[in-house]
Amino acid sequence: MNNIALGRYMPLNSVVHRMDPRAKIMILLFLMIAVFIPAGVWGYVLLSLFILLALFLSKLQLSFALRAMKPMIWMMVFLLVINVLVIKTGTLWFELGWFSIYSDAIYQTLYIVVRLTLMIIMTTILTASTKPLDLTLGIEKLLKPFDKIGLPSHIIAMMISIALRFIPTLIEETQRIMNAQASRGVDMENGTIKEKVMAILSLIVPLFVSSFDRADQLANAMEARGYNPMQERTRYKVLKMTGIDYVGLLASIALLGLCVVLAVVL
Amino acid sequence: MSIKIHQLEHVYNQNTPFSHAALKGIDLEIPEGKVTAIIGQTGSGKSTLVQHLNGLLIPTAGTLDICGYHIQPLLKIKDVKQLRKEVGLVFQFPEYQLFEETIEKDIAFGPKNFGVEEGEASQLVRDILPVVGLDESYLDRSPFELSGGQKRRVAIAGILVLDPKVLVLDEPTAGLDPQGAKEMMTLFMRLNREQNKTVLLVTHDMEHVMNYCDHVIVLDHGVVKQKSDVKTFFEHPEWIVNIGINPPSIIRLKMRLKEAGFDIPDEIIDEEGLLKCIKRQVKIHE
Ligand SMILES: Nc1ncnc2c1ncn2[C@@H]1O[C@H](COP(=O)(O)OP(=O)(O)O)[C@@H](O)[C@H]1O
Ligand SMILES: [Mg+2]
Repeated sequence: MNNIALGRYMPLNSVVHRMDPRAKIMILLFLMIAVFIPAGVWGYVLLSLFILLALFLSKLQLSFALRAMKPMIWMMVFLLVINVLVIKTGTLWFELGWFSIYSDAIYQTLYIVVRLTLMIIMTTILTASTKPLDLTLGIEKLLKPFDKIGLPSHIIAMMISIALRFIPTLIEETQRIMNAQASRGVDMENGTIKEKVMAILSLIVPLFVSSFDRADQLANAMEARGYNPMQERTRYKVLKMTGIDYVGLLASIALLGLCVVLAVVL
Repeated sequence: MSIKIHQLEHVYNQNTPFSHAALKGIDLEIPEGKVTAIIGQTGSGKSTLVQHLNGLLIPTAGTLDICGYHIQPLLKIKDVKQLRKEVGLVFQFPEYQLFEETIEKDIAFGPKNFGVEEGEASQLVRDILPVVGLDESYLDRSPFELSGGQKRRVAIAGILVLDPKVLVLDEPTAGLDPQGAKEMMTLFMRLNREQNKTVLLVTHDMEHVMNYCDHVIVLDHGVVKQKSDVKTFFEHPEWIVNIGINPPSIIRLKMRLKEAGFDIPDEIIDEEGLLKCIKRQVKIHE
């Protein structure tokens, strides 16, 4: 369970790591939109090049980003099967009795796979190059303008950072309780339905109990230090956009524009 | 039968970039019917080692012989399920494993997992409660309304009810007040003396090691740094200081006295001996 790559921060020293989290979030947003614009093959080639460049600049291994895809592989296979069975347009590529494969089925699947892959790599670059706390600080700052319409940006950011902070703790806790119950003879894999229900209960109940305990303690600790979500706060870390941030933003906007143009022209 | 560990190694997340060797080439023989302490700094591999003893972890290299089971790499976990009944493992903060509505059901959970009938399980629960210092009035209460110390007793009862031959305790007194810790240790000593259970104790408390244990194993960065009987161990205070652990108060006193110029033989590690030694030397001085 400890080798989940998705959302894991990798402490490296690269340009991308040093970029302002706000810029990175905005760039991700622009690229996400671009991925969904049907800009044809050339659009995806450009996007892929841009994302590979970002990956290279962030000093991350391609294999690291691709590992995050592992859980998706079955979904993609499933998608391919459905598409092959359902889509019967385009040119006929293969036929054997009742079974036939049309070009559109393959193209459709390929499009979705490419989109998913690009999105996962982009997101992985963001989360692997930005500390969770910086990420939430970035989100908070970007949401700030919405304060005027009653969106509590600070509270949302605090909730996200607490959730992120406790993911590893919860994974560890789950492992610990599973071990403790296994020592009492619980077998999570084998057994009758009734035994399985008991096994799951023996994991879920303690997990809830300890999470509530922990939430309680955390709330007390925060209040003891005078935390008040309504208060105006100053920051130890002040975000500052630099040249590279503007370059990245401009490049991603240009790319998005190009994709729009390609989509309209084609 | 003693527990034999031969060249045991455990690598977490093997064959991934996160691979980490937590235990390297461990060779140990843990005697039957004794109390053995496992000490070492946080992260030295104590918990990893004890999780091998009931087959929660399978070594990535080396072998382990325990209660008639021969454990080696690539063994299937389901082949060692019955071992969990022979080796009772109590984790740190075991109170977090409670989940049933009543204490009776919670304690009976283990026996039922090993196929004991309802009626028999309920009798086992009644027999085990007094052992951990609780009475039958607790049977129908919810485990969640107890105090921390009581919860821990219930959780430990949930392991003891399986009547394991080997009892492994991972920091069982962490977070208890001194009185509660003492009662807990007395309980384990009684199980060792009266029922001849082999006890393994992971602890940070050197007073407990000194007062209750027969043997000591010191782990350091995944290797066995020291193994000896308790008396020899405390005759060499430098062994303890070297691994960054605070010696028990009596040993600290002895070290201070030696620094101050007293001549105290190595083998004296108890209060009375120390006192006699001081008296004699003060007399000579006068
Ligand atoms: N589930 C796990 N996955 C990866 N590494 C682990 C895991 N559990 C422990 N470790 C690592 O193994 C080493 C030994 O840990 P542990 O046995 O818990 O030490 P101790 O109990 O002496 O504090 C530590 O460096 C720890 O980070
Ligand atoms: Mg430990």
